[in-house]
Amino acid sequence: MKRRAFMLSVGGAAAGMVLLPRMAFAEAGRIDWYTSSDQNILDFWTNIVKPKFEAANPGVTLNLVDAGDAAGQTAIGERALAAMQTKTDPQADYFESADWRLPAGAADAGLYVNIKEAGLSNYSKINPLAFDGDFSVPYRGSQVLLAYDTTKLDPANAPKTFADLVTWIKANPGQFIYNRPDKGGSGGNFVRRAILEANGKDLGKFKIDNYTQEAGEAALNPAWDILKDLSGSLFDNGAYTSGNTQSIQLLGQSAVTMIPAWSDQAIQAINTGVLPETTGLVQLQDLALPGGFSRSVVLSNGVNKDAALKLADFILTEEVQSAVLSELGGFPGVAWDYVSQDLREKYKDVIPTTIPAFPGGDWEKAINDGWYRNVAPNVDRSA
Amino acid sequence: MTITPASDIVGTKKSGRPVGLLLVAVPVLLVCWMVIWPIISAITRTVWLPNEGSGRSFSLDTYKFFFSDQYSLNNLNVTLWTTTVTALLLLLVCLPIALYLRFAKGRLAAYVQGLAIFPMFVPSIILSYAIIRVLGPNGTVDLLFNAVGLPHIRSPYLTPWGPVIGLVWDNIPLTVLILLSGLGNVSNQSIEAARDVGAGRLALLWHIILPRISNSILVAVSFTVLGIFSAFTLPYVLGPAAPEMMGPFMQRTFRDLNDPTNAITQAVIAFCFCLVFGLFYVRSVAKNRAP
Repeated sequence: MKRRAFMLSVGGAAAGMVLLPRMAFAEAGRIDWYTSSDQNILDFWTNIVKPKFEAANPGVTLNLVDAGDAAGQTAIGERALAAMQTKTDPQADYFESADWRLPAGAADAGLYVNIKEAGLSNYSKINPLAFDGDFSVPYRGSQVLLAYDTTKLDPANAPKTFADLVTWIKANPGQFIYNRPDKGGSGGNFVRRAILEANGKDLGKFKIDNYTQEAGEAALNPAWDILKDLSGSLFDNGAYTSGNTQSIQLLGQSAVTMIPAWSDQAIQAINTGVLPETTGLVQLQDLALPGGFSRSVVLSNGVNKDAALKLADFILTEEVQSAVLSELGGFPGVAWDYVSQDLREKYKDVIPTTIPAFPGGDWEKAINDGWYRNVAPNVDRSA
Repeated sequence: MTITPASDIVGTKKSGRPVGLLLVAVPVLLVCWMVIWPIISAITRTVWLPNEGSGRSFSLDTYKFFFSDQYSLNNLNVTLWTTTVTALLLLLVCLPIALYLRFAKGRLAAYVQGLAIFPMFVPSIILSYAIIRVLGPNGTVDLLFNAVGLPHIRSPYLTPWGPVIGLVWDNIPLTVLILLSGLGNVSNQSIEAARDVGAGRLALLWHIILPRISNSILVAVSFTVLGIFSAFTLPYVLGPAAPEMMGPFMQRTFRDLNDPTNAITQAVIAFCFCLVFGLFYVRSVAKNRAP
């Protein structure tokens, strides 16, 4: 090949690549929806919410997009914030589960619709425990509880307080395991419950912006002592699984008697046969294990803002909320009075009276790193 | 009359050179862009840190922290231990398989080869869960042992041996293939000649076969060491919470602790260890190409 021909073809290909990303515009009547949640949530929307919503609202379609993870969705939020400043099309209308505080400054700039003032017909049905400011719609929740094998532990003797749980773990060495606090959350919220236990069950002590190194050490060190004390009585003298699923697998293989588990995952596991019918679920009564709600936000500069608000209202209807419970195994975002009677009866054991929520941010970092440095290595595995 | 062919050769060389260079330009540019540049940028970011003022200055603080922090050192140690043990076990397992496949003929050898290559097609995340099922507590092996009245085994799951078993299984195909290609260099004549002068099986292995495949062994070891050192999924799912291997440790530092500088420092340190084995590989390739 002649050099000139080569240069021409290379140049042409390069120019073509630059022109390749074609301009994309949001379509009227097509809600651009993003999620940072797991596949089961996307499946739930694809198979249940989307068909129901599109049938109820002719002419409106849902474009379900997986943003990958929280960081991916925040990037879309940043793009929308930038689009707001330049008054261009953000190509995004709805985030399935978002913290309205992210990206920083978005709420102040008016990126998210104030849901309280948006006049949703179902807004008054929302469970008062679930609110987190006025910019988001809590529509599904999950909480960590204890899942146990009723063939080995009589439900009448299941621990009801954290102190009972500690006594039980020590009396039954090797029968309890929780997963690492940064990997999956069921173990993380067990660790957080231990932290609350070490701090007089005082949730008010932990706020998103009050972490300092001294406060961290004062609050967390006693909790590490509780957990270090437990480690020798855990499965295999102090092993910690690396995810929610692995804990459930060990309970399913009857290798342990009790684990902390997410309510939705435990219910789903029982329904699909991963955990046997004889699995019992119990929540601590003195102070529940922490959990949280997933809250949707609507973007104020989206092309389909009005349709997106209709969607936000739609997910609070009894039809979708009952499906959250029966199909997803999550808690409804609405108060339990707005869920059908037979479902309420079936899940009465896991209906939370309180859902302690622990702040993230710097506390989360301190807890994760502190646990790895203080609790995890402190075991004599050969014993 | 001797000038004409000589000028012909020179002529073709002249017109051939740019095309040849252009052909290698794409991979070289890719390596510079995707490998060399990230290395330079990573090293710069770990030694050019923000100082008390507003600027940045040269500092080795993150490296000092790593090498004075017992937790980080434990993680490095367990990574080196896992790498060494896995590489040794791999050689012990794969060399007999490769020798068998080199000298055996027939249908059974084909099945063994298929079985040895099989792990290549199993994603490591599936392998991890399968190992929990089989070797985990109350897993298949445990149940079979119990059925014949043997006591419970202590499961390797969530101990440092968990990742070792998984990594050995996962790396069998690559190691067997490399050793097998090396064994192709051992001619049947030389083996028969050695047999004729009365060499036993061990002498055959030691004096005839091993010297010829030492290069392949080196290549196989450096390849597997590079893979094991940076392994993520198997140590993450099967290994203990602490000490962690470098892969999960880096990921956790980067993502959970939002601490890219220390994560990159860990990566640079891991890279330095891998570099040594990379050099072994490059040296053996260069040695092979020399006439």
